[in-house]
This record gives sequence, structure tokens and C-alpha cells, in this order.
Amino acid sequence: MNEKDYATLARHVHDARKPLNRISMQAELVKMALDGDVPPERAKQALDKIIISTKDCSEALTEMMEALGDSQSES
Amino acid sequence: MLTVLLVDDDPEFTDVACTIIEFLGHEVLTAANLDEARDWLTKESFDHILLDFMLPDGSGVHLFEELDALPKRPRVTLITGHPSVRGIIKGLCGPNIDYLVKPIQREEIEAVLSGKKEKKSETGNATIKKYFGHLIGESPSMKELYKLIERVSRTSANVMLLGESGVGKEVVAEAIHAASDVEGPYIATNCGAFSKELIGSELFGHEKGAFTGAVGRKAGVFEQAENGTLFLDEITEMPIDMQPNLLRVLENKVVIRVGGTKTIPVNCRVVSATNRQMEEIAESKVLREDIYFRLAVFPITIPPLRERKEDIPLLATSFIAELNKENNTSFAWKDAQLDTLKAYDWPGNVRELRHFVHRAAIMSDPDKQDIELPKTIESPFAKKQSTTPALQAGRTIEDVEKELIYATLEKVNGNKTLAAEMLGISTKTLYNRLHAYGDLSKDD
Repeated sequence: MNEKDYATLARHVHDARKPLNRISMQAELVKMALDGDVPPERAKQALDKIIISTKDCSEALTEMMEALGDSQSES
Repeated sequence: MLTVLLVDDDPEFTDVACTIIEFLGHEVLTAANLDEARDWLTKESFDHILLDFMLPDGSGVHLFEELDALPKRPRVTLITGHPSVRGIIKGLCGPNIDYLVKPIQREEIEAVLSGKKEKKSETGNATIKKYFGHLIGESPSMKELYKLIERVSRTSANVMLLGESGVGKEVVAEAIHAASDVEGPYIATNCGAFSKELIGSELFGHEKGAFTGAVGRKAGVFEQAENGTLFLDEITEMPIDMQPNLLRVLENKVVIRVGGTKTIPVNCRVVSATNRQMEEIAESKVLREDIYFRLAVFPITIPPLRERKEDIPLLATSFIAELNKENNTSFAWKDAQLDTLKAYDWPGNVRELRHFVHRAAIMSDPDKQDIELPKTIESPFAKKQSTTPALQAGRTIEDVEKELIYATLEKVNGNKTLAAEMLGISTKTLYNRLHAYGDLSKDD
């Protein structure tokens, strides 16, 4: 793997980590809702957002595959 | 309450993080980029800044100069997506900085804001964790023990502690008491320490004039431990003819003082202890069966120190820290010394280790840091064990090999096929070796 590939990879990993971080935080929010610390409707919103984030994460991984696949065929 | 500035370009993250930080009792403002952050810094003063490393208009590190120029520099925690960034940041801004690595959890935010992060590795020996305020050790067998203690502490069941001499049965009893969250006191007594005549008075109390010398009334340990924990050490040393009285107390939960007539209700958890094995208790009839089942509702076996050798450095470090505090010294172990301690089997268990550390501290120069270890670790009570440590620099491979072969043969009662299998060599090789040692006649 050359330097350019590595930079591409790093960028995509960063993009994939963003939804993971969102999932983690939203999950904490659901925990708080279960404890009664925040209103229960926030839990439902948080769960919806978790589902969206999983799709975003999956998309980011697909993009990474494509980007690296392109550079593979170039070389 | 702290005033916190959260700088991150992901609105969904900042939204939830704000909810959490506010819930933790702090005030929080957000900025999506460096520009907004700079703007806030001119308007407000902050105690703590949570700063994303990668922002749309530059790296969070660019904010550092402005922060330095502030009259009150806030504490900074960098949020990074990648653990490897740490090293770079450390080079840029010095070691006094906290990190959060994405994905972030609530506990981590809590920890950085309260400033409690990474205390463990920084201050070293001062923070050896004492479970239930008493027990030291991170080995799997101790973790298992902690689990048992936690389980039983939620009930009022009587506990019997089994374990060799010196493993810390009394310490475990205190830990159970500490974990139990009961109002009453912790009372300990040793059943082996009283004569037949006196044990009744010790356990159940006596009335004035009950026997010669009973000049006043006395409450027994069962009464003293009301709503608490009663620790009966060396329960198996209790005279067998006193045991029916004990049984009655355990079954009816009332005591009658020696020389008295009134029944007094008692309510306490009884933690008993013995250094005998369970089978031995059953065979030797030192404890009546009915009493055993009353006392050992929840038996706990405490592992000997040799089965949790990884805890030896922790214990030794904790002991030396105690002594340092007591005597105003600053002794510290060297890694090699801890390895020496770890190599020994400690037949006297933690008590022997503590005694050994104490003696070493007395023998060492109090003005220095070095601890002088005696050349050999030995106790007159130690069971016979191999004096040559299994592996030591200076011995030849041949030598060690020979010892291993003989040790294996001894283990399998001279069965050479089995021995070869255990050693991972062919029987032929084993015979060759034994021939070489001159231990085998030609026709064998």
C-alpha cells in the first residue's frame, strides 16, 4: 500500500468512525432514558438515529471499498 | 459545576453530548469550528474545553495559543478519532493533556470532567485497589472470590471460610461485613483461644455470679454483634461438647446467658473460619454435622497465595507502602526483587509475605530507597520444598533436563512410556537419556 492509498484509507476510516461515535452517544442517551433521566421519547428518537447511523457507517465502508478498488485498478 | 465548551463539527454528537454533560450538572456551550470557538472564548470564561482534533477550518491544536493567552487557562481534553494521534499531540502540547477517543462513552466524559482519569498509572503504588476496602488482588481466583462475596453480601446467609493458614480469612470476613451494608458492628472472636469453661461465657455472655469470678454481667459476642457480623475463627477448635449450645443459638436465634434464665433474641450473620479441609472436617468429627450445615450455608474457599502468584507484587507493594507511611521511609521494590518474591511458594501465604516484607524493611537502610532482601526466603514452618528454584541462570540445559526427567518419572511412578509422553519425547529418547545418566542397566 502506497502513501496515497493510506491517506485515502485514513480519510474513509475517519468517515466511518463518525457514525460509530454517534451510535455510542445515542446508546448512552437510551440508557439514561431507561433510568428516567431524560424523557422516554428521546430514547425512541435516539434509536431511530442509531439505525440511520448504522446505514451511514455501512455506506462509508462501501465507499472505502470503491475508492481503494479504483486505486487498485489504476496501479 | 463547570462551564464547558464543546468544540466539534458533528451536530448530532454535540447535541447528545450536551444532554449528557448537562445531566452531569455542568453548563455547556458548543462550537462547530475554530472560529465559533474563538468567539466564545472572548465572551465567556470556561473551566474545561472538549476539543475535536479535526475541525473544518483547521486542527484543534491551533486553539492552544489563544488558550495560553487567556487569564485563566481552561483544562483541555482533545477528542480524536484515532488512538495513534496521541503520540503526535503529546509532542505538540506536552504530556498534561487528556484524551477522549471516539467512539466516546458517557463514563469517559464523566471521568475527564471530574479529572479522575489515568490516576492509576500516574501515582503507581498509592492506588492499589482494595476490594470491599480490604482485599488486594486482580487474579482470576480473587475475582471469583469477589463475586462470591458480593453475592453473599446481599443475603443474610451464614458463611464458612475455608483456607490455609495465613490466606486472610479474617480479612475476608471483614470484607463481607463491609460489603453487607448492615447497621450492626463487626465482632471477631477466636474459638480456639478459650478454655472449655470460658467459651460459653464468651459466646453467650453470663449473669453476675454465674461462676467463680463472674463479678458482673457480660454480654456475649452474639449479643454484641446484634444486626452485624460475628466472626468465629478456628471454629473447628471449639470443644465438641459446647457445640450443642451453639447449635441451639443458630437454630432458634436466641441466647441464654450462662447462669441466666431469660432468652435474648439475637440477629447477626455468622462468618466462621477454619484452616481444615472440608473432607477433613467431615472425617475427623471436629465439627458436628448439624452445626456444619448451619454455619456453612455458603462456604467460600480462599485460594492460597501460590495459586495467585500474579498478586504477589501488588501485595508486596501495598505492604511496603503501609510501612513507608508508618515509618516515614520511601522504600521501593525493584522489578527483579518482585520476581524473586513471585518465585517463592509462600507456604505461610499472605501472612508470611507480610512478615517477610516487614522484616526486609527493618533490615534496610531507612534513608535509602533500596530494600535489602535476605539471601533466602525461608520460614521454620515452611513445608519441605525444592530449595533450588526450578530455573535459574547459571545452570546448564543438560542439568535442568535431567532434573525434569527425574521429576516426571517420580510423578508417574517410574512408568517410562507415560513419562516420555508427558515430556513430549519418544520412549527411545528417554531410554537413551537414562542410559547416559548411568541409571539404566543394559537389559532394562
